[in-house]
Amino acid sequence: MSAVTYDQLRTLYRTLLVFATVSVVILSIGLIEFVYFEPPGQTSGANAHIEGVFKFDPATHDVTGPDRSQFARTEQFAAKVDWASIPDNFTVDAKWYDSFGSVEGEVGPGSPASLAAQPLVPVTVPPGFHYVLPGRYTFVVERLSDSVPVEVLGRRYVVVNRS
Amino acid sequence: MIQSTNPPAADPESRLRPGRYRIAIAIAALVVFALIASSILNYVYLDSIPSRASLYGLLAVALITLGTYILVRAFNRDRAARRKHLIRAGVLIGLGVLLWLLIIDVFIFTQSAGPVVAAVCALACVPTTAFGLFVVRRMDRNHKEPWRLVLVAAAWGAIVATSLVVWGETVWESSAQHALVPGPGLDASLAFMAGILEELAKGLAVVLLYLVMRNEFDDIVDGIVYGAAVGLGFNFMESVSYMTNLYSIFAPEHFGEVAAGIQWYGRQVLGLFFGHATYTAFIGAGLGVARQMHGRRQKALAIVSGFLIAIAGHFSWDAWATFFPYQATFFGLVEIHLRTLIMTGPFTAAVIALLLAGIGYEGRNLRDQMEKEAASGSGAILLDEVTILASPIKRLRQRLHAFERNGFAGYLKVSRLQTAQLDLAMERWHRERKETDTPFEAEEELRRRVLDLRHWVAAA
Repeated sequence: MSAVTYDQLRTLYRTLLVFATVSVVILSIGLIEFVYFEPPGQTSGANAHIEGVFKFDPATHDVTGPDRSQFARTEQFAAKVDWASIPDNFTVDAKWYDSFGSVEGEVGPGSPASLAAQPLVPVTVPPGFHYVLPGRYTFVVERLSDSVPVEVLGRRYVVVNRS
Repeated sequence: MIQSTNPPAADPESRLRPGRYRIAIAIAALVVFALIASSILNYVYLDSIPSRASLYGLLAVALITLGTYILVRAFNRDRAARRKHLIRAGVLIGLGVLLWLLIIDVFIFTQSAGPVVAAVCALACVPTTAFGLFVVRRMDRNHKEPWRLVLVAAAWGAIVATSLVVWGETVWESSAQHALVPGPGLDASLAFMAGILEELAKGLAVVLLYLVMRNEFDDIVDGIVYGAAVGLGFNFMESVSYMTNLYSIFAPEHFGEVAAGIQWYGRQVLGLFFGHATYTAFIGAGLGVARQMHGRRQKALAIVSGFLIAIAGHFSWDAWATFFPYQATFFGLVEIHLRTLIMTGPFTAAVIALLLAGIGYEGRNLRDQMEKEAASGSGAILLDEVTILASPIKRLRQRLHAFERNGFAGYLKVSRLQTAQLDLAMERWHRERKETDTPFEAEEELRRRVLDLRHWVAAA
């Protein structure tokens, strides 16, 4: 084995190690990002009371029927939040996420008292579409700290059927 | 002719080969155990239609695993036994593929979009994936990998790797969505999930090839080829899955074909070489370097590095691609391309750089070995052939010249002779570097094969 040949392999090996070092940096940045948005020690112990998810009538801006976890694609729906169940010194908001992680309806942020007049959080139909898209929707009531959501105080899942 | 390529080891004291096989058997056992556990747990705890498919799919996975093992080993047997093993392997793989496609169609894609849409999506992905595999295999300009192993790698990526990650990803995703705040933190967690689990599942195929098929896993170039092939297979199955899912979501809005088409373009055209193929190629690169390093620590570091780079590349795309939003305008089309180029381009460029350096390194050493063989006077490689054999273009010219004189038969004979001569140079290279555990008789067999082929070519 010639020294030149060995050095060529070592060059490949060292290049790989350099790339791996950069990769460790990338993964570390990912960890820092995760910790920034999921800071430890943020559990307040408070829970938001979500009264339910109901069929929503956009004309009357009111809900009807029982609490449900499944809806047809042609139905609109809204979550009803009891803002009084949350301590008033919190900054909170409520959001609907579709199966792609896009926000499809929100209320807040603000103090629970300031949001008391908006107990209903409806899912909005995306612009250009006739109905909401099928899939799993997640509703969350979040506590914010320095404008960053740090804790989920309440959560509900709803499935919108394709048919 | 080589009657058997499994003769007793040249160095009876060498425990390298049994050691490798033991590790390979342990990994294979772990994979099978993980698949069984994954499917049963999915069925018991999740009880969803894909979970049932996963459970019923176990038989298909087992058939394909057994079939590919027999197929790969068949080529290491003598001609009489080879045919029997090839038939066995073909039957097993055929049954496995049919069973798998049936399960997929009936339980997953049919559920969301219907069998016709699933079939159209799969058919749309076949030519692009085949093109990708063709290009990837052609990248090894000096010593191409056998199609059977490239296809086995792609099949692992498409069928075994996707099955391996089902349970892990379902549990991780479900736990994260129940515990974390939606947004960048959750996105980062899911990106870690995809990066770690999917790259480990894909990388296992390359590890097994590295352990079991050492004769066909020569260096970093081979590793990159196998890794990219696994990635292309995984990308195929993921594309079909995403296309059918998006079709079913957007079809009621009469937007299904467009949504599936955009997904096809993103994954099978724009992302064909940029995504999974690039990530898993790094795992192959690490294993390829480890193949030729001598120290255990260096081998381990090279392998770990390959996995780390693959995981980081995959993670960065999944976690941060959303930081580059695109508008729903014509300029959005440009933005989509720029995003891929900016996010994955550096990784693809890095793996291409490793590939080019590897090809150069391999080419120089093969030429060196061919010159030594020519100088030995064995007659297997002549001095004036070295320049031709060292250049892919000149080799092609020589084959075309044979084609002009003797048609396709002449082309094939010269092609076989060139391949045998390159095989001999590769064997010499590994022996000189003390990185082969095949006996010296194997090299002599290769030399005799070259001389036999030379007689055929001369006779033609």
